[in-house]
Amino acid sequence: MGNLKEKLEEEKKKKKKSEKAKKTNAELFQKKVMLKKEEKQNENIKTTGKKKRRREKENNVNADKVEGEKNKNKPRKKKRKGEEKNNALVGKSVQQDGYEEQNGKSKKPNRKKKEHHTLKKGETIPEKIEEAVEDGAYYISSGEDCSKGMRKWLTEYRQSRPGLKVLQQWIDQFITAHEEKLEQERNEREARVAEDGWTVVVHHKGRKKTTDSQSGITVGSVAPAVAESQLTKKKHKEIGPDFYRVQKREAQRNEILAIQSKFEQDRKRIQQLRAAGKFQPY
Amino acid sequence: MDVDTLMEPMDLKVSELLKEVQVDYSPALTELVDDTVSAIKEAINQIPEGIEVTVDEAPGFVKDIGADKVEFKFKKPKSVEIGGSYSMKCIAKPDINVDLFIQLPKECFHEKDYLNYRYHAKRFLYLCILKKFLKSSSLVHKVEWSSFHNEARKPVLLVYPARKVVEFPGLFVRVIPTAKFLFNVAKLDMKRNNIRALNQEGNTPLPTPRYNSSMLEDMFLEDNTEFLKKTFLGWRELREALILLKVWAQQRSSIYAHDCLNEFLIAVILSYLATYEKVNNSMKPLQIFRVTMDFIASSKSWSQGLYFWQQREVKVSKEERLLYKETFPVVICDSYAHLNLAFRMKSNGFLELQDEAALALKCLEKSGDVAFEDIFMTKIDFSSKFDYCIRLNLKGNSKVCASGFCLDDECWRLYEQKVHNILSQGLSDRAKFIRVIWRNFHSDCDMENGLSTLDTEPLLIGISVSSLEKAFRVVDIGPNADNKEEALKFRKFWGEKAELRRFRDGKIAESTVWESEQWAKHLILKIIEYVLLQHLSLSKTNILQVVDQLDFSLLHGVEDPMSFSASLLAAFELLSKRLRCIEDIPLKVSSVQPLDPAFRFTSVFPPRPHPLASEKGHVPKLRKLISSCIQPLEVMIQLEGSGNWPMDEVAIEKTKSAFLLKIGESDIVKRVPFVDKKLFVRGQHSSMINGLQGIYQMYGPVVRLAKRWVASHLFSDCLVEEAVELLVAHLFVKPLPFTAPCSRIAGFLRFLRLLADYDWTFSPLVVDINNDLTPIDKKEIYDNFTPSRKGHEENAQNISPSMFLATSYDKASEAWTRFAPNSLELKRLVAYARSSANLLTRLVLEDQTGPLKWECLFRTPLSNYDAVILLHAGRLPYPQRLLFPSNSNQGRLVVHGNASKAFQPFMLPGDLRGNSEELKHKLMVNFDPLMSYVADLQKEFNTFKLWYDSLGGDAIGLTWETKKRGRDEAGEGEDPIKVLKGVGEVGKGFVRSVYFLKAPRLMK
Repeated sequence: MGNLKEKLEEEKKKKKKSEKAKKTNAELFQKKVMLKKEEKQNENIKTTGKKKRRREKENNVNADKVEGEKNKNKPRKKKRKGEEKNNALVGKSVQQDGYEEQNGKSKKPNRKKKEHHTLKKGETIPEKIEEAVEDGAYYISSGEDCSKGMRKWLTEYRQSRPGLKVLQQWIDQFITAHEEKLEQERNEREARVAEDGWTVVVHHKGRKKTTDSQSGITVGSVAPAVAESQLTKKKHKEIGPDFYRVQKREAQRNEILAIQSKFEQDRKRIQQLRAAGKFQPY
Repeated sequence: MDVDTLMEPMDLKVSELLKEVQVDYSPALTELVDDTVSAIKEAINQIPEGIEVTVDEAPGFVKDIGADKVEFKFKKPKSVEIGGSYSMKCIAKPDINVDLFIQLPKECFHEKDYLNYRYHAKRFLYLCILKKFLKSSSLVHKVEWSSFHNEARKPVLLVYPARKVVEFPGLFVRVIPTAKFLFNVAKLDMKRNNIRALNQEGNTPLPTPRYNSSMLEDMFLEDNTEFLKKTFLGWRELREALILLKVWAQQRSSIYAHDCLNEFLIAVILSYLATYEKVNNSMKPLQIFRVTMDFIASSKSWSQGLYFWQQREVKVSKEERLLYKETFPVVICDSYAHLNLAFRMKSNGFLELQDEAALALKCLEKSGDVAFEDIFMTKIDFSSKFDYCIRLNLKGNSKVCASGFCLDDECWRLYEQKVHNILSQGLSDRAKFIRVIWRNFHSDCDMENGLSTLDTEPLLIGISVSSLEKAFRVVDIGPNADNKEEALKFRKFWGEKAELRRFRDGKIAESTVWESEQWAKHLILKIIEYVLLQHLSLSKTNILQVVDQLDFSLLHGVEDPMSFSASLLAAFELLSKRLRCIEDIPLKVSSVQPLDPAFRFTSVFPPRPHPLASEKGHVPKLRKLISSCIQPLEVMIQLEGSGNWPMDEVAIEKTKSAFLLKIGESDIVKRVPFVDKKLFVRGQHSSMINGLQGIYQMYGPVVRLAKRWVASHLFSDCLVEEAVELLVAHLFVKPLPFTAPCSRIAGFLRFLRLLADYDWTFSPLVVDINNDLTPIDKKEIYDNFTPSRKGHEENAQNISPSMFLATSYDKASEAWTRFAPNSLELKRLVAYARSSANLLTRLVLEDQTGPLKWECLFRTPLSNYDAVILLHAGRLPYPQRLLFPSNSNQGRLVVHGNASKAFQPFMLPGDLRGNSEELKHKLMVNFDPLMSYVADLQKEFNTFKLWYDSLGGDAIGLTWETKKRGRDEAGEGEDPIKVLKGVGEVGKGFVRSVYFLKAPRLMK
């Protein structure tokens, strides 16, 4: 966050304003006007410190006292907000309850965010919006937090690209570990077998023995592809599918059955389509 | 019905279709018709005999058709009789109407009233009187003017009965006057001139064959209907075939028009085939249909003309035949041999008809019953059939009727012909078909006041491109310069566009040169606009061409990113060459294959060269905004075979990465997160589509529009890009009943209709790109498909995949649509496609649509979701791809957030300092916050489904997943607002606002 300057300036402004507000506290009528102004200004302010919030709250409470009991919700809500803000990270769930109660289901007030408001009812709305804005502002102020949102994704992106050297290292490590693991497994296996009192027959390099030395019978395995091709060759010698009359008849019957089932299927389908009013060419 | 009688696969469907469209003559119908007819008769009886009828009944009409003596004394009609298809029992829904012939009495006409439009004027005045009295009848709801086959000089009356019957909505009776025995037939011979105004020049009088035919038609209307009735009434199959033909024609608006086919002519052609025993009693309706199509498409008889015989001989001499042939493009002479029944048919309409019939035959050749849908159930209107549609707004254009409304032909028909001639000369062999149709009648025509209001509807032009090579030809070579006469004609036609050029072979010739942006391909648009403006007195705003209206969705700013494809391919070539040359790796690279759609011209946004990615390594000056994100393109590398690969899956991945690292020392780095099978399928798909794209130039642009549409309606998660490519491929490899589309809008419309109309539940879509699927393959596909629909009986939603897309490399539809769309998503997709298709059709065919309407095809309504998340457009990786910034005015705002400052999609001026190496580090490859956000949301929540646009939308729709009863009791109680807050939280710095629209529906 490189906008410390901005922050400072904003804070200065705010102080001035709140001071002003205090001065005008004396006069009831004027104060109302000032409060309106302040609310508007608050809209623009996006970063706020704890201290200021408290001060604000006090102001609001005062204002509410003056305004009477028209807005019962407001002070309560404000209080809660103040409390919860102290819990630092909560932020989002803040104030929503009050917001819901007041705002009801109408969407129009939301849209009027920055418009002038002359109605009394309207006076409460900018505040709500302001809260919404503050709500957003909260994310900015917690920008250091990398556990969620844009910053998290950026961090993840960077972590996923550690650079070629590091990546090579990781892979080398994995391969070494992997090979070690394989080696170890083999050793263990051999050891286990050896314990049973059997000798391990070590594979010898050289020509594969495919015939038994005594009988001369072919032993070793045959490649599966070769075996399969030989099998299919054999199959060809079998009798064709339409050699016997029985076979032909059976095939014919099967065909008719297939057509019959297709026919039934079609009929059902057309019934469905017609029921849905889709079987019309117009 | 018995199976044995229905061995032909289409027969069942055809017989069901007939049941659907035929009208049975129930008492309800006959009663209604009889009542209405007798009400009409009643009204006629009330007209006092012998009242004077004068011009004052309809001065405008009489003046406009130019008749002179029109007064007569009213007499009752000689007869009132039901005719037309109702009398032949051949009505096809939805057009349920009854023709009523009213025979005009001879007493009202003079012997010479065939001259100078007197007959037409009197005929109209007679109807005016009828109308007056019909209107006062309490049994008649309303009376309207209409025309007889769009012929303005021959209006007819539509009478709507006051009593409404639910089964027959909109039934009306057409009152058609006939002129039996009114005139001497010899006077109406084709060679004769009967409009004196036409021969003022003093030369030999011009014959008026169309005017004469118009009267002859009325004179023999009853006889001809009687003749047809005789043929049809005793022959059920022939009647059914007629109805099938009507259905076929009704689906094709380009041939079911005044200058081509109508119900009457279909019946005439069928009865011709019956008379000449080309069809016989043993044939089924579908067989008759097939014979008729074959006859229309390829019979040699058309070149001589069709002549009915009487007692086995034709009474037309050779000279007369020649004369008929010279006068009319198509000749169907009635059995009385006085009249060419097809005198309205134009040659371009007939060519179109033959082509459609040939296409129908092609459909019938296909195995199985697919042809049924293509022939009878698919709508083939102007917008989907023609590659280019143009509307001319001619309202109030005085040039149309400059020399009078009605000459031998009517001015609107002459204008159609003129426009057609201009376009066919201008486009020459670029166009296969040019159709010009101007429908003049609308329901509230006020005929009494004249014909000047008949130009309110726009004139519609449809153009089919012959081939894209011809369509995009830049230079048209005209006649040699030596050929003075031809050259002069050429110059006259082309005006200042014509220029004399010397060609490479030394020839010097007149020519025209047309230039167009390489990727836009709208060259035809320029030609059409030029010739129309050159020859018709029109302003540019009255020519509405449907060509480039959707291009905006594919542009980056003002340019189409497709224009960088050449450099993209060059870069790929270079890369693959280098990869194959790398020596110092254990296994050499044996092949390099592109996987990304950008390499096959089907990517909506192929990347453009990044200014910082040049090899020279210099830092460019800041002219434009430089994107900070780079879109990677995937390439598949195949290594030499080796037996030393590890068996363990993780180990394979790691070894692959090691190889890539080794390769990367010389070039690039990429992680390969795919299993081999997926990679293989993608490779297959890529090469297949690449091949297809090479054959059909329009394939790429149509795919791009389709992909953009899918994404902009937030379906990115439901339909993957490859599936869209296959759907569009299907339009090109199996275009019937159309031909392959040659323009992006026609192709896009057909894509939408395919999505909307295909029977996804009961049929697999087999996309046979290389046309190499054997019957065994197809059987395998169906065998895979059938079990996937087993569950449908119990639960309609229980089918997976709901969209079965089979190809030669993926016969079980596992590659692209296995998990998405599910049946609910597909339902939504289909509904959206349908409404978009309807909107697009309207935009093409109708006027009065503002510029905003075209955009609506890509602007998705945000009200159809339970909640909407709006994002900060400025934090999207490519903000320039956002079509419309979204704003929700629905629901209530529950979360509001600010944009993070940690990420900018563009390089800031400050970032550009430093050397290029540092700069390159700042670039982010494949960073997409939207996808990260979606992934995070899907990880953290399972109570809702997300709808988003991966191409660059700033809105995400959210719908609650309805839960089954009993399960997840805890989850049900969750407060939706709370969930949405959580949703906003996860997208911190990216989410602009979240709107809540609807609470989850709890199923109890």
